[in-house]
Amino acid sequence: MNGDTLDPTLSSIPPEAERVLAQNINQQKKYKRKLIISFIVLGILMITTLIVIGLDFKFMAKWLPFILAGGGYTILVSILAISLACILSVIGALGRLSKNPVINSIATAYVSLIRGTPLLVQIYMWYLALPQIGLALEGLGLTGIQSLFTLHAIPAGILALGVCYGAYMTETVRAGIQSIKIGQTEAAKALGMTSGQTMKRVIFPQAMRVIIPPVSNEFIAMVKDSAMVSLMGVWEMTYRAMKVGRRHFQSLEMLVMVAMIYWMMCIVLQYFQEKIEEHMARGDRRM
Amino acid sequence: MAKEKPMVKLTNIHKVFGNRNHVLRGIDLSVNKGETVVILGASGSGKSTLLRCVNFLEEPTAGTIEVDGTVIQAGESDKKRSGHILDIRKKTGMCFQSFNLFPHMTALENIIEGPVTVLKQKKSEAVSYAEELLDWVGLTEKRDEYPSCLSGGQQQRVAIARSLAMKPKVMLFDEPTSALDPELVAEVVEVMERLSKEGMTIIAVTHELHFARDVADQVMIMDNGNWVETGPPEEIFNNPKEDRTRKFLAHIL
Repeated sequence: MNGDTLDPTLSSIPPEAERVLAQNINQQKKYKRKLIISFIVLGILMITTLIVIGLDFKFMAKWLPFILAGGGYTILVSILAISLACILSVIGALGRLSKNPVINSIATAYVSLIRGTPLLVQIYMWYLALPQIGLALEGLGLTGIQSLFTLHAIPAGILALGVCYGAYMTETVRAGIQSIKIGQTEAAKALGMTSGQTMKRVIFPQAMRVIIPPVSNEFIAMVKDSAMVSLMGVWEMTYRAMKVGRRHFQSLEMLVMVAMIYWMMCIVLQYFQEKIEEHMARGDRRM
Repeated sequence: MAKEKPMVKLTNIHKVFGNRNHVLRGIDLSVNKGETVVILGASGSGKSTLLRCVNFLEEPTAGTIEVDGTVIQAGESDKKRSGHILDIRKKTGMCFQSFNLFPHMTALENIIEGPVTVLKQKKSEAVSYAEELLDWVGLTEKRDEYPSCLSGGQQQRVAIARSLAMKPKVMLFDEPTSALDPELVAEVVEVMERLSKEGMTIIAVTHELHFARDVADQVMIMDNGNWVETGPPEEIFNNPKEDRTRKFLAHIL
Protein backbone atom coordinates (compact mmCIF):
# COMPACT_ATOMS: atom_id res chain seq x y z
CA MET A 1 0.00 0.00 0.00
CA ASN A 2 2.63 2.53 1.07
CA GLY A 3 5.47 3.25 -1.32
CA ASP A 4 7.91 3.63 1.55
CA THR A 5 7.36 0.06 2.76
CA LEU A 6 9.24 -1.25 -0.30
CA ASP A 7 12.86 -2.03 0.44
CA PRO A 8 15.07 -0.42 -2.24
CA THR A 9 18.07 -2.64 -1.44
CA LEU A 10 16.11 -5.73 -2.46
CA SER A 11 15.28 -4.35 -5.87
CA SER A 12 17.14 -5.65 -8.92
CA ILE A 13 15.84 -4.22 -12.16
CA PRO A 14 16.85 -6.49 -15.09
CA PRO A 15 18.98 -5.00 -17.90
CA GLU A 16 16.20 -5.15 -20.51
CA ALA A 17 13.99 -3.12 -18.18
CA GLU A 18 16.82 -0.64 -17.65
CA ARG A 19 17.00 -0.21 -21.42
CA VAL A 20 13.27 0.62 -21.56
CA LEU A 21 13.63 3.08 -18.70
CA ALA A 22 16.54 4.81 -20.47
CA GLN A 23 14.49 4.96 -23.67
CA ASN A 24 11.57 6.56 -21.83
CA ILE A 25 13.80 9.24 -20.34
CA ASN A 26 15.38 9.85 -23.73
CA GLN A 27 11.97 10.32 -25.34
CA GLN A 28 10.91 12.80 -22.69
CA LYS A 29 14.10 14.80 -23.26
CA LYS A 30 13.56 14.77 -27.02
CA TYR A 31 10.01 15.99 -26.61
CA LYS A 32 11.12 18.87 -24.40
CA ARG A 33 13.84 19.89 -26.85
CA LYS A 34 11.42 19.90 -29.76
CA LEU A 35 8.88 21.87 -27.77
CA ILE A 36 11.41 24.61 -27.00
CA ILE A 37 12.51 24.77 -30.66
CA SER A 38 8.86 25.11 -31.75
CA PHE A 39 8.33 28.02 -29.38
CA ILE A 40 11.48 29.75 -30.62
CA VAL A 41 10.40 29.34 -34.26
CA LEU A 42 6.96 30.75 -33.42
CA GLY A 43 8.60 33.76 -31.76
CA ILE A 44 10.86 34.38 -34.73
CA LEU A 45 7.89 34.14 -37.10
CA MET A 46 5.98 36.73 -35.09
CA ILE A 47 8.88 39.15 -34.99
CA THR A 48 9.55 38.72 -38.73
CA THR A 49 5.91 39.45 -39.47
CA LEU A 50 6.14 42.65 -37.47
CA ILE A 51 9.28 43.67 -39.37
CA VAL A 52 7.87 42.70 -42.77
CA ILE A 53 4.77 44.81 -42.34
CA GLY A 54 7.10 47.71 -41.66
CA LEU A 55 6.31 48.70 -38.09
CA ASP A 56 7.98 51.87 -36.90
CA PHE A 57 9.90 50.57 -33.88
CA LYS A 58 11.44 53.93 -33.11
CA PHE A 59 8.00 55.46 -32.82
CA MET A 60 6.98 52.61 -30.50
CA ALA A 61 10.01 53.05 -28.27
CA LYS A 62 9.38 56.78 -28.04
CA TRP A 63 5.84 56.38 -26.79
CA LEU A 64 6.41 53.30 -24.59
CA PRO A 65 6.86 55.25 -21.31
CA PHE A 66 3.70 57.26 -21.99
CA ILE A 67 1.61 54.09 -22.56
CA LEU A 68 3.16 52.30 -19.58
CA ALA A 69 2.21 55.22 -17.35
CA GLY A 70 -1.40 54.15 -17.93
CA GLY A 71 -0.58 50.68 -16.58
CA GLY A 72 -1.10 51.95 -13.05
CA TYR A 73 -4.82 52.35 -13.76
CA THR A 74 -4.99 48.88 -15.22
CA ILE A 75 -3.39 47.38 -12.14
CA LEU A 76 -5.39 49.52 -9.70
CA VAL A 77 -8.73 48.78 -11.36
CA SER A 78 -7.98 45.05 -11.75
CA ILE A 79 -6.84 44.49 -8.19
CA LEU A 80 -9.68 46.41 -6.56
CA ALA A 81 -12.26 44.88 -8.89
CA ILE A 82 -11.04 41.30 -8.32
CA SER A 83 -11.08 41.89 -4.55
CA LEU A 84 -14.67 43.08 -4.79
CA ALA A 85 -15.51 40.13 -7.04
CA CYS A 86 -14.01 37.65 -4.55
CA ILE A 87 -16.07 39.05 -1.69
CA LEU A 88 -19.25 39.14 -3.78
CA SER A 89 -18.69 35.63 -5.10
CA VAL A 90 -18.34 34.10 -1.63
CA ILE A 91 -21.47 35.90 -0.42
CA GLY A 92 -23.22 35.02 -3.68
CA ALA A 93 -22.27 31.34 -3.46
CA LEU A 94 -23.47 31.07 0.14
CA GLY A 95 -26.66 32.80 -0.98
CA ARG A 96 -27.14 30.41 -3.86
CA LEU A 97 -26.74 27.48 -1.46
CA SER A 98 -28.90 29.07 1.23
CA LYS A 99 -32.15 27.46 2.30
CA ASN A 100 -33.56 30.91 3.09
CA PRO A 101 -35.87 31.69 0.12
CA VAL A 102 -35.28 35.47 0.23
CA ILE A 103 -31.49 35.22 0.29
CA ASN A 104 -31.51 32.45 -2.29
CA SER A 105 -33.70 34.40 -4.71
CA ILE A 106 -31.59 37.56 -4.40
CA ALA A 107 -28.40 35.63 -5.13
CA THR A 108 -29.97 33.77 -8.04
CA ALA A 109 -31.38 36.98 -9.54
CA TYR A 110 -27.97 38.69 -9.19
CA VAL A 111 -26.19 35.95 -11.09
CA SER A 112 -28.88 35.71 -13.75
CA LEU A 113 -29.16 39.45 -14.39
CA ILE A 114 -25.44 40.17 -14.49
CA ARG A 115 -24.50 37.15 -16.55
CA GLY A 116 -27.34 37.84 -18.90
CA THR A 117 -26.28 41.38 -19.84
CA PRO A 118 -23.16 42.63 -21.67
CA LEU A 119 -20.38 44.05 -19.54
CA LEU A 120 -20.29 47.02 -21.88
CA VAL A 121 -23.89 47.88 -21.04
CA GLN A 122 -23.22 47.41 -17.34
CA ILE A 123 -20.28 49.80 -17.41
CA TYR A 124 -22.44 52.51 -18.98
CA MET A 125 -25.18 51.76 -16.46
CA TRP A 126 -22.90 52.38 -13.50
CA TYR A 127 -21.55 55.53 -15.10
CA LEU A 128 -24.60 57.04 -16.74
CA ALA A 129 -27.77 55.45 -15.40
CA LEU A 130 -26.87 55.66 -11.72
CA PRO A 131 -26.87 59.49 -11.62
CA GLN A 132 -30.33 59.41 -13.14
CA ILE A 133 -31.54 57.11 -10.36
CA GLY A 134 -30.02 59.57 -7.93
CA LEU A 135 -31.91 62.38 -9.62
CA ALA A 136 -35.16 60.47 -9.39
CA LEU A 137 -34.58 59.77 -5.69
CA GLU A 138 -33.82 63.44 -5.14
CA GLY A 139 -37.16 64.19 -6.75
CA LEU A 140 -38.76 61.92 -4.15
CA GLY A 141 -37.36 64.12 -1.40
CA LEU A 142 -33.99 62.56 -0.59
CA THR A 143 -31.94 65.69 -1.00
CA GLY A 144 -28.22 65.36 -1.51
CA ILE A 145 -28.37 61.76 -2.66
CA GLN A 146 -27.54 62.53 -6.25
CA SER A 147 -23.90 63.29 -5.57
CA LEU A 148 -23.60 59.86 -3.94
CA PHE A 149 -25.00 58.25 -7.07
CA THR A 150 -22.76 60.12 -9.45
CA LEU A 151 -19.57 58.13 -9.77
CA HIS A 152 -16.24 59.05 -11.24
CA ALA A 153 -15.05 56.87 -14.07
CA ILE A 154 -12.62 54.80 -12.02
CA PRO A 155 -14.94 53.86 -9.14
CA ALA A 156 -17.66 53.15 -11.71
CA GLY A 157 -15.27 50.89 -13.61
CA ILE A 158 -14.20 49.04 -10.47
CA LEU A 159 -17.83 48.52 -9.44
CA ALA A 160 -18.88 47.38 -12.90
CA LEU A 161 -16.02 44.90 -13.27
CA GLY A 162 -16.24 43.69 -9.67
CA VAL A 163 -20.00 43.15 -9.74
CA CYS A 164 -19.85 41.48 -13.14
CA TYR A 165 -17.01 39.11 -12.36
CA GLY A 166 -18.51 38.49 -8.93
CA ALA A 167 -21.54 36.99 -10.64
CA TYR A 168 -19.47 34.63 -12.80
CA MET A 169 -17.28 33.70 -9.86
CA THR A 170 -20.34 33.04 -7.68
CA GLU A 171 -21.00 30.02 -9.84
CA THR A 172 -17.35 28.97 -9.65
CA VAL A 173 -17.31 29.19 -5.87
CA ARG A 174 -20.66 27.43 -5.57
CA ALA A 175 -19.42 24.58 -7.76
CA GLY A 176 -16.22 24.41 -5.68
CA ILE A 177 -18.18 24.15 -2.45
CA GLN A 178 -20.48 21.51 -3.90
CA SER A 179 -17.55 19.46 -5.16
CA ILE A 180 -16.53 18.60 -1.60
CA LYS A 181 -17.84 15.17 -0.64
CA ILE A 182 -20.81 15.00 1.72
CA GLY A 183 -18.74 12.80 4.06
CA GLN A 184 -16.64 15.84 5.00
CA THR A 185 -19.71 17.73 6.16
CA GLU A 186 -20.95 14.69 8.02
CA ALA A 187 -17.63 14.20 9.80
CA ALA A 188 -17.61 17.85 10.85
CA LYS A 189 -21.21 17.69 12.05
CA ALA A 190 -20.53 14.46 13.94
CA LEU A 191 -17.84 16.38 15.85
CA GLY A 192 -20.52 18.88 16.87
CA MET A 193 -19.53 21.72 14.56
CA THR A 194 -22.14 24.28 13.56
CA SER A 195 -22.81 24.91 9.85
CA GLY A 196 -20.68 28.05 10.00
CA GLN A 197 -17.75 26.24 11.59
CA THR A 198 -18.09 23.40 9.07
CA MET A 199 -18.00 25.83 6.17
CA LYS A 200 -15.08 27.84 7.51
CA ARG A 201 -12.86 25.07 8.85
CA VAL A 202 -13.63 22.10 6.62
CA ILE A 203 -15.44 22.90 3.38
CA PHE A 204 -13.99 26.23 2.34
CA PRO A 205 -10.29 25.39 2.72
CA GLN A 206 -10.83 22.33 0.53
CA ALA A 207 -13.02 24.17 -1.97
CA MET A 208 -10.28 26.82 -2.36
CA ARG A 209 -8.12 24.28 -4.12
CA VAL A 210 -10.82 23.69 -6.70
CA ILE A 211 -11.65 27.38 -6.99
CA ILE A 212 -8.16 28.91 -7.39
CA PRO A 213 -7.43 27.87 -10.99
CA PRO A 214 -10.71 29.19 -12.49
CA VAL A 215 -10.50 32.34 -10.35
CA SER A 216 -6.98 33.03 -11.62
CA ASN A 217 -8.41 32.56 -15.06
CA GLU A 218 -11.09 35.17 -14.33
CA PHE A 219 -8.46 37.54 -12.98
CA ILE A 220 -6.44 37.28 -16.16
CA ALA A 221 -9.58 37.95 -18.19
CA MET A 222 -10.39 40.93 -15.98
CA VAL A 223 -6.97 42.54 -16.45
CA LYS A 224 -7.81 42.76 -20.12
CA ASP A 225 -11.43 43.78 -19.63
CA SER A 226 -10.16 46.66 -17.50
CA ALA A 227 -9.37 48.25 -20.87
CA MET A 228 -13.11 48.97 -21.05
CA VAL A 229 -12.79 51.74 -18.47
CA SER A 230 -11.17 53.68 -21.32
CA LEU A 231 -14.73 54.00 -22.64
CA MET A 232 -15.37 56.42 -19.81
CA GLY A 233 -12.33 58.46 -20.70
CA VAL A 234 -9.87 57.13 -18.17
CA TRP A 235 -6.30 57.55 -19.35
CA GLU A 236 -5.36 53.90 -19.01
CA MET A 237 -3.15 52.03 -21.45
CA THR A 238 -5.64 51.29 -24.21
CA TYR A 239 -6.99 54.84 -24.16
CA ARG A 240 -3.51 56.30 -24.40
CA ALA A 241 -2.53 53.94 -27.21
CA MET A 242 -5.63 54.85 -29.22
CA LYS A 243 -5.10 58.59 -28.68
CA VAL A 244 -1.45 58.52 -29.72
CA GLY A 245 -2.07 56.13 -32.61
CA ARG A 246 -4.85 58.23 -34.10
CA ARG A 247 -3.03 61.50 -33.81
CA HIS A 248 0.06 60.17 -35.62
CA PHE A 249 -1.77 57.81 -37.97
CA GLN A 250 0.22 54.94 -36.53
CA SER A 251 -2.53 53.05 -34.74
CA LEU A 252 -1.12 49.64 -35.60
CA GLU A 253 2.16 50.31 -33.80
CA MET A 254 0.33 51.44 -30.71
CA LEU A 255 -2.09 48.52 -30.76
CA VAL A 256 0.70 45.97 -31.14
CA MET A 257 2.55 47.56 -28.28
CA VAL A 258 -0.38 47.71 -25.91
CA ALA A 259 -1.26 44.10 -26.78
CA MET A 260 2.29 43.04 -25.90
CA ILE A 261 2.13 44.85 -22.57
CA TYR A 262 -1.12 43.10 -21.63
CA TRP A 263 0.38 39.80 -22.68
CA MET A 264 3.45 40.31 -20.48
CA MET A 265 1.26 41.21 -17.52
CA CYS A 266 -0.77 38.04 -17.99
CA ILE A 267 2.34 35.88 -18.25
CA VAL A 268 3.44 37.23 -14.89
CA LEU A 269 0.00 36.49 -13.42
CA GLN A 270 0.09 32.98 -14.84
CA TYR A 271 3.39 32.40 -13.09
CA PHE A 272 1.88 33.37 -9.74
CA GLN A 273 -1.15 31.20 -10.43
CA GLU A 274 1.11 28.19 -10.84
CA LYS A 275 2.93 29.02 -7.60
CA ILE A 276 -0.33 29.32 -5.66
CA GLU A 277 -1.62 26.05 -7.07
CA GLU A 278 1.58 24.28 -6.04
CA HIS A 279 1.14 25.63 -2.54
CA MET A 280 -2.51 24.57 -2.37
CA ALA A 281 -1.68 21.05 -3.51
CA ARG A 282 -0.04 20.17 -0.20
CA GLY A 283 -1.85 17.34 1.54
CA ASP A 284 -2.65 16.05 -1.90
CA ARG A 285 0.53 14.03 -2.27
CA ARG A 286 -0.30 10.53 -3.39
CA MET A 287 1.74 7.60 -2.26
CA MET B 1 -27.34 -2.54 36.40
CA ALA B 2 -30.93 -3.15 35.36
CA LYS B 3 -32.13 -0.10 37.28
CA GLU B 4 -29.55 2.20 35.75
CA LYS B 5 -30.71 4.74 33.18
CA PRO B 6 -29.59 3.68 29.71
CA MET B 7 -26.91 5.75 27.98
CA VAL B 8 -28.71 5.59 24.65
CA LYS B 9 -32.41 5.02 24.36
CA LEU B 10 -34.28 5.02 21.06
CA THR B 11 -38.04 4.71 21.18
CA ASN B 12 -40.23 3.84 18.23
CA ILE B 13 -37.93 5.32 15.58
CA HIS B 14 -39.37 5.65 12.10
CA LYS B 15 -37.51 6.98 9.09
CA VAL B 16 -39.24 7.64 5.81
CA PHE B 17 -37.06 8.82 2.92
CA GLY B 18 -38.46 10.93 0.11
CA ASN B 19 -42.10 10.35 -0.25
CA ARG B 20 -42.87 6.93 1.11
CA ASN B 21 -39.67 4.90 1.39
CA HIS B 22 -40.16 3.47 4.88
CA VAL B 23 -36.65 2.45 5.97
CA LEU B 24 -36.96 2.27 9.76
CA ARG B 25 -40.21 0.86 11.08
CA GLY B 26 -40.59 1.53 14.76
CA ILE B 27 -37.18 0.63 16.17
CA ASP B 28 -36.51 0.49 19.91
CA LEU B 29 -33.00 0.28 21.27
CA SER B 30 -31.57 0.66 24.73
CA VAL B 31 -27.85 0.63 25.43
CA ASN B 32 -26.45 0.82 28.94
CA LYS B 33 -23.26 2.59 29.93
CA GLY B 34 -20.21 0.55 29.00
CA GLU B 35 -22.14 -1.85 26.82
CA THR B 36 -21.12 -2.82 23.29
CA VAL B 37 -23.93 -3.45 20.85
CA VAL B 38 -23.33 -4.86 17.38
CA ILE B 39 -25.99 -4.44 14.73
CA LEU B 40 -25.95 -7.00 11.92
CA GLY B 41 -28.10 -7.19 8.86
CA ALA B 42 -28.15 -7.41 5.09
CA SER B 43 -27.32 -4.27 3.15
CA GLY B 44 -30.36 -2.06 2.76
CA SER B 45 -31.88 -3.31 5.98
CA GLY B 46 -31.59 0.14 7.55
CA LYS B 47 -28.78 -0.37 10.06
CA SER B 48 -26.62 2.54 8.91
CA THR B 49 -29.66 4.79 8.80
CA LEU B 50 -30.50 3.86 12.38
CA LEU B 51 -26.96 4.64 13.52
CA ARG B 52 -27.05 7.98 11.71
CA CYS B 53 -30.32 8.83 13.41
CA VAL B 54 -28.64 8.59 16.81
CA ASN B 55 -26.53 11.73 16.17
CA PHE B 56 -29.04 13.32 13.78
CA LEU B 57 -26.95 13.03 10.64
CA GLU B 58 -30.30 11.67 9.54
CA GLU B 59 -33.48 13.22 10.93
CA PRO B 60 -35.79 10.51 12.20
CA THR B 61 -39.33 11.01 10.91
CA ALA B 62 -40.88 9.89 14.18
CA GLY B 63 -39.73 8.65 17.57
CA THR B 64 -37.67 9.77 20.54
CA ILE B 65 -33.91 9.77 20.89
CA GLU B 66 -32.19 10.05 24.22
CA VAL B 67 -28.42 10.19 24.68
CA ASP B 68 -26.99 10.61 28.18
CA GLY B 69 -30.03 12.51 29.41
CA THR B 70 -30.52 14.75 26.35
CA VAL B 71 -33.90 13.96 24.82
CA ILE B 72 -35.07 14.94 21.35
CA GLN B 73 -38.47 14.17 19.93
CA ALA B 74 -38.56 13.73 16.16
CA GLY B 75 -40.57 16.27 14.22
CA GLU B 76 -40.71 18.66 17.14
CA SER B 77 -39.30 22.06 16.36
CA ASP B 78 -38.61 24.39 19.26
CA LYS B 79 -35.80 26.86 19.70
CA LYS B 80 -33.67 24.60 21.86
CA ARG B 81 -33.69 21.81 19.34
CA SER B 82 -30.55 22.66 17.34
CA GLY B 83 -28.72 23.19 20.63
CA HIS B 84 -29.81 19.75 21.76
CA ILE B 85 -28.65 18.21 18.51
CA LEU B 86 -25.19 19.79 18.93
CA ASP B 87 -25.26 18.50 22.51
CA ILE B 88 -25.89 14.94 21.39
CA ARG B 89 -23.21 15.24 18.72
CA LYS B 90 -20.67 16.36 21.29
CA LYS B 91 -21.54 13.32 23.41
CA THR B 92 -21.23 10.87 20.54
CA GLY B 93 -18.23 10.08 18.41
CA MET B 94 -18.73 8.60 14.97
CA CYS B 95 -16.49 6.60 12.67
CA PHE B 96 -17.42 6.23 9.03
CA GLN B 97 -16.87 3.54 6.46
CA SER B 98 -14.87 5.98 4.32
CA PHE B 99 -13.01 7.52 7.32
CA ASN B 100 -13.79 11.08 6.21
CA LEU B 101 -10.60 12.53 7.64
CA PHE B 102 -10.08 16.16 6.68
CA PRO B 103 -7.54 15.88 3.83
CA HIS B 104 -6.15 19.40 4.27
CA MET B 105 -5.08 18.71 7.84
CA THR B 106 -2.36 16.46 9.25
CA ALA B 107 -3.25 13.57 11.55
CA LEU B 108 -2.66 15.75 14.60
CA GLU B 109 -4.61 18.69 13.19
CA ASN B 110 -7.50 16.36 12.45
CA ILE B 111 -7.56 15.22 16.05
CA ILE B 112 -7.37 18.67 17.66
CA GLU B 113 -9.93 20.22 15.28
CA GLY B 114 -12.96 19.21 17.37
CA PRO B 115 -11.57 20.14 20.78
CA VAL B 116 -10.22 23.51 19.58
CA THR B 117 -13.11 24.59 17.32
CA VAL B 118 -16.07 23.06 19.14
CA LEU B 119 -14.98 22.76 22.77
CA LYS B 120 -12.80 25.90 22.63
CA GLN B 121 -9.93 24.10 24.32
CA LYS B 122 -6.50 25.69 24.39
CA LYS B 123 -4.40 24.44 21.51
CA SER B 124 -1.52 23.25 23.70
CA GLU B 125 -3.95 21.28 25.85
CA ALA B 126 -5.60 19.72 22.81
CA VAL B 127 -2.24 18.82 21.30
CA SER B 128 -0.99 17.00 24.36
CA TYR B 129 -4.21 14.96 24.60
CA ALA B 130 -4.08 14.30 20.85
CA GLU B 131 -0.55 12.96 21.25
CA GLU B 132 -1.75 10.60 23.97
CA LEU B 133 -4.51 9.40 21.66
CA LEU B 134 -2.12 8.93 18.75
CA ASP B 135 0.02 6.81 21.04
CA TRP B 136 -3.05 4.88 22.12
CA VAL B 137 -3.93 3.98 18.53
CA GLY B 138 -0.24 3.31 17.79
CA LEU B 139 0.39 6.10 15.31
CA THR B 140 2.72 8.46 17.16
CA GLU B 141 5.15 8.53 14.24
CA LYS B 142 2.37 9.60 11.82
CA ARG B 143 1.62 12.76 13.82
CA ASP B 144 2.44 15.19 11.01
CA GLU B 145 1.39 13.13 8.00
CA TYR B 146 -1.51 14.10 5.79
CA PRO B 147 -4.28 11.49 5.40
CA SER B 148 -3.31 10.83 1.77
CA CYS B 149 0.00 9.43 3.04
CA LEU B 150 -1.66 6.96 5.42
CA SER B 151 -3.01 3.49 4.70
CA GLY B 152 -6.72 2.87 5.13
CA GLY B 153 -6.23 1.17 8.48
CA GLN B 154 -4.08 4.05 9.71
CA GLN B 155 -6.65 6.58 8.50
CA GLN B 156 -9.43 4.81 10.35
CA ARG B 157 -7.35 4.71 13.54
CA VAL B 158 -6.73 8.46 13.24
CA ALA B 159 -10.48 8.90 12.71
CA ILE B 160 -11.14 6.97 15.92
CA ALA B 161 -8.64 9.16 17.76
CA ARG B 162 -10.35 12.25 16.29
CA SER B 163 -13.67 11.12 17.73
CA LEU B 164 -12.16 10.21 21.08
CA ALA B 165 -10.56 13.65 21.39
CA MET B 166 -14.06 15.00 22.07
CA LYS B 167 -14.25 12.68 25.11
CA PRO B 168 -17.54 11.19 23.90
CA LYS B 169 -19.88 9.13 26.06
CA VAL B 170 -20.85 6.88 23.16
CA MET B 171 -19.00 5.73 20.05
CA LEU B 172 -20.87 4.94 16.87
CA PHE B 173 -19.13 2.79 14.26
CA ASP B 174 -20.66 2.70 10.79
CA GLU B 175 -19.02 -0.27 9.03
CA PRO B 176 -15.55 0.93 10.03
CA THR B 177 -13.71 -1.92 8.31
CA SER B 178 -15.76 -2.37 5.15
CA ALA B 179 -13.55 -0.15 2.99
CA LEU B 180 -10.30 -1.75 4.19
CA ASP B 181 -8.04 -4.30 2.54
CA PRO B 182 -8.36 -7.59 4.42
CA GLU B 183 -4.92 -7.40 6.02
CA LEU B 184 -5.69 -3.97 7.50
CA VAL B 185 -8.94 -4.95 9.21
CA ALA B 186 -7.30 -6.47 12.28
CA GLU B 187 -5.53 -3.28 13.41
CA VAL B 188 -8.82 -1.36 13.46
CA VAL B 189 -10.78 -4.14 15.16
CA GLU B 190 -8.05 -4.38 17.78
CA VAL B 191 -8.48 -0.69 18.62
CA MET B 192 -12.25 -1.12 18.84
CA GLU B 193 -11.80 -4.10 21.18
CA ARG B 194 -9.55 -2.13 23.49
CA LEU B 195 -12.04 0.71 23.49
CA SER B 196 -14.80 -1.68 24.50
CA LYS B 197 -12.68 -3.20 27.26
CA GLU B 198 -11.90 0.23 28.66
CA GLY B 199 -15.60 0.74 29.23
CA MET B 200 -16.72 2.84 26.27
CA THR B 201 -20.35 2.55 25.26
CA ILE B 202 -20.31 1.36 21.66
CA ILE B 203 -22.91 0.88 18.96
CA ALA B 204 -21.33 -0.72 15.90
CA VAL B 205 -22.69 -1.66 12.51
CA THR B 206 -20.16 -4.13 11.22
CA HIS B 207 -19.67 -7.37 9.37
CA GLU B 208 -16.79 -8.39 11.65
CA LEU B 209 -18.27 -11.50 13.21
CA HIS B 210 -15.25 -12.02 15.47
CA PHE B 211 -15.85 -8.64 16.97
CA ALA B 212 -19.55 -9.41 17.41
CA ARG B 213 -18.85 -12.80 18.98
CA ASP B 214 -15.97 -11.86 21.28
CA VAL B 215 -16.69 -8.28 22.27
CA ALA B 216 -20.41 -7.52 21.95
CA ASP B 217 -22.75 -7.65 24.91
CA GLN B 218 -25.74 -7.63 22.63
CA VAL B 219 -26.10 -8.62 19.00
CA MET B 220 -29.07 -7.30 17.09
CA ILE B 221 -30.14 -8.60 13.73
CA MET B 222 -32.02 -6.17 11.53
CA ASP B 223 -34.15 -6.80 8.50
CA ASN B 224 -36.72 -4.68 6.69
CA GLY B 225 -36.34 -1.80 9.10
CA ASN B 226 -36.92 -3.66 12.32
CA TRP B 227 -35.26 -6.17 14.64
CA VAL B 228 -35.48 -9.80 13.72
CA GLU B 229 -33.79 -11.07 16.83
CA THR B 230 -31.70 -9.61 19.61
CA GLY B 231 -29.69 -11.15 22.40
CA PRO B 232 -26.24 -12.02 23.70
CA PRO B 233 -23.87 -13.23 20.96
CA GLU B 234 -23.71 -16.86 22.20
CA GLU B 235 -27.42 -17.15 21.80
CA ILE B 236 -27.65 -15.46 18.43
CA PHE B 237 -24.77 -17.37 16.89
CA ASN B 238 -25.21 -20.79 18.48
CA ASN B 239 -28.89 -20.96 18.97
CA PRO B 240 -30.85 -18.58 16.75
CA LYS B 241 -34.59 -18.72 17.21
CA GLU B 242 -35.72 -17.02 14.04
CA ASP B 243 -35.56 -18.51 10.62
CA ARG B 244 -34.47 -15.21 9.10
CA THR B 245 -31.56 -15.01 11.55
CA ARG B 246 -30.43 -18.46 10.52
CA LYS B 247 -30.64 -17.58 6.83
CA PHE B 248 -28.71 -14.36 7.34
CA LEU B 249 -25.98 -16.05 9.38
CA ALA B 250 -25.67 -18.81 6.80
CA HIS B 251 -24.97 -16.13 4.22
CA ILE B 252 -22.19 -14.39 6.07
CA LEU B 253 -20.52 -17.21 7.99
